[in-house]
Amino acid sequence: MTLEAYLLVGAALFSLGLIGALSHRNLIALLIGIELMMNAASLNLMAFNRFVVTDPTTGQIFVLIIIGLAAAEVAIFLSIILRIYRAYHDIDAEKLTKLSG
Amino acid sequence: MLEQAVIYTFVALVLIGGGLAAFSRQILYAIIGLGISLLGLAGLFLNLGSPFVAAMQVLIYIGGITVAIVFAMMLSIAMSIRPPNPDARKLGFAIACAVIFFGAVAHLIRGAQFQQIASPASEKAWSVGALGHALLTHYNVVFEALSLVLLLAIIGAILIARKA
Repeated sequence: MTLEAYLLVGAALFSLGLIGALSHRNLIALLIGIELMMNAASLNLMAFNRFVVTDPTTGQIFVLIIIGLAAAEVAIFLSIILRIYRAYHDIDAEKLTKLSG
Repeated sequence: MLEQAVIYTFVALVLIGGGLAAFSRQILYAIIGLGISLLGLAGLFLNLGSPFVAAMQVLIYIGGITVAIVFAMMLSIAMSIRPPNPDARKLGFAIACAVIFFGAVAHLIRGAQFQQIASPASEKAWSVGALGHALLTHYNVVFEALSLVLLLAIIGAILIARKA
């Protein structure tokens, strides 16, 4: 596959993640959409790393850092979800309106 | 020929899994779709010449993150909970946004001129050894910062999630 084909797959995956993040009200579904978008970015980085960059360690390290940051992000996000569930007995994003006037 | 078939299988896995994750109303199916998509992505990484990143993708993403999301789902919502009714207006808005985004990016990709290298770098530059060497010399600060971020995230997650 060519570079353009990989970039198109990445764009399609990002669009699917965008749909998931925008259309759901469940916090876990939002998280899944965000994960898909991060992975689309990883795919783009790896494709550029293979076809454009002369030193192939750069893109791989970028992707490893993305994976590590995603792990940290998910840990925090899931603990916040558990806390929200304990306080509201629901994880619907539109019912979390305690701070709205 | 066979190689092409394998690559397109991985692309299909990525897109089918992503579609399942984006459109499924049942949260468990969405998580399974995420796992399928990540597995296909690991195959694409393998095809792009990096077995190490592909292995990390499988280990951390599928083995760690997906399983953690399943745990959080089981701890927060009962499995039998009825999924909320689909909100057609919201879904339409999301699909419109995604189509506009995809069209714009596809247009940009079509028009762009990339300075592609003639042939991929040597086998030695792609090796795990070169990766580890770069991670401990040139990218040392990033490596250390990432470990610190992970440590803080673990402590923070425990603090946030513990029973008050």
